[in-house]
Amino acid sequence: MINANLKSSYAADERVLNNRYKQAFVYGSILALVLFTLFGNDYLILIASQMGILLIAVVGINILTGYTGLVSLGHGAFVAIGAYAVTIFGNLGAGVIPAGLMPFVSVPLAVALAAAVGVLVGLPSLRVKGLYLAVATLAANFIVIFLIEEDLFAPWTGGMVGINTNVPNLLGWELDTKREMFGLIAVVGLVSLLAAQNLIRTRVGRAFIAIRDRDYSAEILGISLLRYKLMSFALSAAYCGLAGALFAYFYARILPEQFELALSLNLVAALIIGGMGRTMGPVFGVIIVVMVPELIKVLFGALAGDSAGAGQLRAPLQQIAFGVLLVLFLLKESLGINQIVDRILRAANRWPFARG
Amino acid sequence: MTMNRRSFLATTAAATAAMGTPMILRAQPKEYVLGASLPLTGPFATAGQLVAPAFAMAAKLFNDEGGVAGVPIRFVTEDSGYVPQNALNNYQRALASEGKNMIGYFADSTGAMKLIAPELKGENARIMGSTSFASELADPATHPYQYLSGPTYQSQFDILLQNIKNEGGQKVAFIFSNTEFGRDPIEHGRKTAEELGLEVVLEESTKAEGADIPTHVTKLAQSGADHCILQGYVTGVWPQLIGGARQFGLPVKFKGTFWGMEKLIADRITAEAGPFLAGYEGVMPYRYFYDREDAPRYQQYAELSKQMFAGTPLENYMSTWAIQTMCGLEIAMKAFRDTAEAGLELTPDNIAEKLAGISDWDSGGFFGGPVSMENNAIGTGRVYGYNPEDGLFTPKSDWFTV
Repeated sequence: MINANLKSSYAADERVLNNRYKQAFVYGSILALVLFTLFGNDYLILIASQMGILLIAVVGINILTGYTGLVSLGHGAFVAIGAYAVTIFGNLGAGVIPAGLMPFVSVPLAVALAAAVGVLVGLPSLRVKGLYLAVATLAANFIVIFLIEEDLFAPWTGGMVGINTNVPNLLGWELDTKREMFGLIAVVGLVSLLAAQNLIRTRVGRAFIAIRDRDYSAEILGISLLRYKLMSFALSAAYCGLAGALFAYFYARILPEQFELALSLNLVAALIIGGMGRTMGPVFGVIIVVMVPELIKVLFGALAGDSAGAGQLRAPLQQIAFGVLLVLFLLKESLGINQIVDRILRAANRWPFARG
Repeated sequence: MTMNRRSFLATTAAATAAMGTPMILRAQPKEYVLGASLPLTGPFATAGQLVAPAFAMAAKLFNDEGGVAGVPIRFVTEDSGYVPQNALNNYQRALASEGKNMIGYFADSTGAMKLIAPELKGENARIMGSTSFASELADPATHPYQYLSGPTYQSQFDILLQNIKNEGGQKVAFIFSNTEFGRDPIEHGRKTAEELGLEVVLEESTKAEGADIPTHVTKLAQSGADHCILQGYVTGVWPQLIGGARQFGLPVKFKGTFWGMEKLIADRITAEAGPFLAGYEGVMPYRYFYDREDAPRYQQYAELSKQMFAGTPLENYMSTWAIQTMCGLEIAMKAFRDTAEAGLELTPDNIAEKLAGISDWDSGGFFGGPVSMENNAIGTGRVYGYNPEDGLFTPKSDWFTV
């Protein structure tokens, strides 16, 4: 017997959280996040904050790659734009805009700027696809980092040596501890995730999926590829810009080298591992990408001790272990962790009847 | 738990002892922690792997001496892959897991130091040394908790330029990598050269790796320089530049700064490409490890190395990179111990004050004589020259203090 999710109206089917499990999961998660923010230890808060920032960017990549089927290896650039823009706007506006209102001005501006650059970078997607597009977007990463490092812009960006960032001040509340920052990251992360879930049930989201499944069929159906591909780029860049803004608020200084190719690849890796085109894919991906190296470190630390000698042996082994784990994941489940979790939940749901 | 006569007496005695203990002692943890990020993987893994054993040695040495006022010190080292963001993450992780027990940190690059610097505020501040000699860090006003374990690159340039002047040089070329590390002392060097009456005939920036050697050598030849200072390289480019110039038949005298002065690298180049480094000179803040007759601390290191690293190349020779790290750790330990001896709590501000106040310190042979911290750096060094025949860097000048 299969437990179906009975829906008696279209309205029920159209809801963002369209069954009780999802509702329970989201409300439970909110409660867990509140408790964690209040009582989590410093170390876990730090790791969770890093995951939250990465998550928002991966949700953005998911819209582009997972839902619209366009590959990008340059989204680290948009994180950089968000981070630098929020800092530069913050510095330029200091004294003009009250400090307590600054994030409400600088963050939307930074996100809008990232989206605008996203549209520019997305233009090649109208002519090229697949690997060719990946290479074209790769250029974005190099160009943006090059411009940030240029002496011409150094008075604003700090050039190669980076720039100190501002402490966010929300209506007089200075978020100057990691715990407070985590609160903000958790709220923004959750809203971003729900917004992405909402997006795919709208006309725009369905257009993205149609383009992913076969772009010329989508065009025959009347979907404007120009409009929706660029919209997808703009939205994903905006998410990355938002992640960048939080990144700048979380760390006291930003350097161009933090946003280089490694970050772009990390974002794509997290998405592939978690599961493309699924709302929870980025969540699982980010957990794996951030937590597994930490767990390996703890495990190796427990086995070999944390002395300098052990550290010397541990460092390369950790990297190898992480690499092997990633390859195994991809070999065993190319649809990502989300698929594994789906299978487990389905089996649990149907238990004790058919599995799989 | 039931309270009987024995447990009552024991509890009362413990409570009395605790109340009677001075505040400072009660605040003492079981151990202090000194965290570190090292490039154990990545482009500078060679340097990281050579430096890592120094921490094991430091742990043994310092704890055998009684740690900090009897409290042992534990080192927690992590890999950064030479990525500043990783070093920052390591620092924050160590801070979150070790809390107040962590009294210091050691970073592995200028980038890491600059990235972590603005995080060093209030509860999150810790004393921080590093492998960097970046001039910008030597400013207690902007970087009160960070220090250099030797002279800044600017000071190293001053030493070299003074030495060139003393040798009767007239025209100097600066060749540097197009990195922050390479550019650091160039502007300052130009001013110093002008003050000394030396003419800077070439300022040439190169890639940090895979530079276009023939082009740079041709420009050097056209400049007519009699001396050339190389800055911002570790293992690559500088030897190729010297080799290229020698093939070209240029008589230019080459000089380097700290990171271009490692014997292991010079020996490897000589073994692979011949003795063209003959006459190469550079500034070194410390004595080389084999020059330990007047360096009692080095002698202790040598004994420990024999015990701890028997059968490895580290048994007989400690690289200048490891010496720099050891010096950084010794400075931190002196500041910790001075703070504890003064009866002060080991807070970052107290330690920073003691560190900034280090004066006439007998380091046990690292430097030519007693040294003092000025602007959180130690501005001393001397010029050494390399001889490919015996594979040794030997002194070519007295100790300069700038």
